[in-house]
Amino acid sequence: MSTKKTLQNINEIKLTRRQLMSGSGALGGFLLTGCDTQFYKPPIIREGFMGVADVMTMASQRMLLSNQQLVQEHDASEITKNFPVWNQSNPDDEEYQRLRAGNYADWRLSITGLVNNPISLSLEDLKRMPRRTQTTMHICEQGWSAIAQWTGAPLMSVIEAAGGVTTEAKYIMIDAYGGWYEGYDMFDAVHPQTILAYGMNGKDIPLGNGAPVRLRVERHCGYKQLKFIKSIQVVSSVEDFGRGTGGLNSDFGFHWYAGA
Amino acid sequence: MPSTTRNWIFRHTINARICHWIMVVSFFYLLYSGIMIFLHFPELYWGKVGFQGYPAIFRLEDWGISWERAEELGDRRWGRNYHYLFAWVFVINGMIYLIWNGWQKKFYQKMLPTREQLSIRNLKSEFARHLQLKAAKGESDASYNILQKVSYLFVLFALFPFMIISGFAQMPAFTAISPELIDLFGGRQTARTLHVICSLLLVVFVFVHLVEMIIAGAVNQLRSMFIGKYEIHSENAEESL
Repeated sequence: MSTKKTLQNINEIKLTRRQLMSGSGALGGFLLTGCDTQFYKPPIIREGFMGVADVMTMASQRMLLSNQQLVQEHDASEITKNFPVWNQSNPDDEEYQRLRAGNYADWRLSITGLVNNPISLSLEDLKRMPRRTQTTMHICEQGWSAIAQWTGAPLMSVIEAAGGVTTEAKYIMIDAYGGWYEGYDMFDAVHPQTILAYGMNGKDIPLGNGAPVRLRVERHCGYKQLKFIKSIQVVSSVEDFGRGTGGLNSDFGFHWYAGA
Repeated sequence: MPSTTRNWIFRHTINARICHWIMVVSFFYLLYSGIMIFLHFPELYWGKVGFQGYPAIFRLEDWGISWERAEELGDRRWGRNYHYLFAWVFVINGMIYLIWNGWQKKFYQKMLPTREQLSIRNLKSEFARHLQLKAAKGESDASYNILQKVSYLFVLFALFPFMIISGFAQMPAFTAISPELIDLFGGRQTARTLHVICSLLLVVFVFVHLVEMIIAGAVNQLRSMFIGKYEIHSENAEESL
């Protein structure tokens, strides 16, 4: 795949050129290396054959995804009524409950780490950013699936708002209320459908689905769609987080790469 | 009593034997890990969407195993890890088998039905023999019989590819790689349901395969899958090969 084609594709899918290219050469750099083998493996490769299988799965799928194709978007009529509330439904966290009581007016999303200009955004700030609405299928690794319409700010725009990333940046670690955290690589961060969603089916995201903001990283299973987002850190290594595998799910022994 | 002579033929190539046993191991792990995954979500749906509370076409609960009990029995973390590991073993083994054999004329002679085997007369007699649970003897046992050939071809070239493709159709990455594939199945849940149904067909195949092996002579059959040589029993020395 040529560099030119990558950029063209992404322009076609209406993320403006300015958002992609402005501010940071480094983010442009990630686009230029869309087929780079660094995206073929998880941050920490497990031992033995399990690690070999992980890399083979991730590498083969990333090769097939190297054009950064969009996932299928569904018609609004296909939106699932009673979208399931799965896993954490109301974080048992004092700070979260305080924010919730104040209707998230005091909620702040900090973007720190290897960015040129660390910032902290309120929910209103986030809603004023470029927005994207997408009706997509949520696929849980356990087996269920449901369709919802999500509205949010592309993760790319948010990182751009923080001045873009520095050249050492490799992973985006997102913390959530309730103790969950997950790591993502730049391949997913630059995908236009990777959004920090604040809206679901035309309304604010309900509590059980991750209010006030959750991640949609559509090419992955449900466990990567982090709910109740607290903060974002851009890092070069995942080792200082949790057990050091790059996410709570992989700390627990699930695949870090969840394209399945 | 007719006299019995021992005739040996060379039935299975080294490659067929190795690939067969690797496949046995990986099939066992895929099935077992698949069950472990399924037990953590023991319902099946039809179409694009399905979740607990959505109209299901199959619920383990209706068969006496509650959701909670199924969760206790299953282990999807173990299941997922091993399902993917052995899916790779299975696919690579299958590709080696096909590439190794695909250019060998002998493979087609062994696997493809002959014109004679497809005759109505032969089909009738083979069905009758199978229903009577009788083993093939003499010349006809020197090659796979027609029902054997058809079932092997069906498993190799229909059920196995279907398992792989219906597996892909369940993966979120394929909503971007090839949404057409998921649409072809009529949705993600249909792909999951068909994946399970197809695995049950494979279990039926393995069951029949084992029964047939016992009928035909387990020692001789198993031995041939290890050393390649297969003994042809003939009731009559003059009729033997």
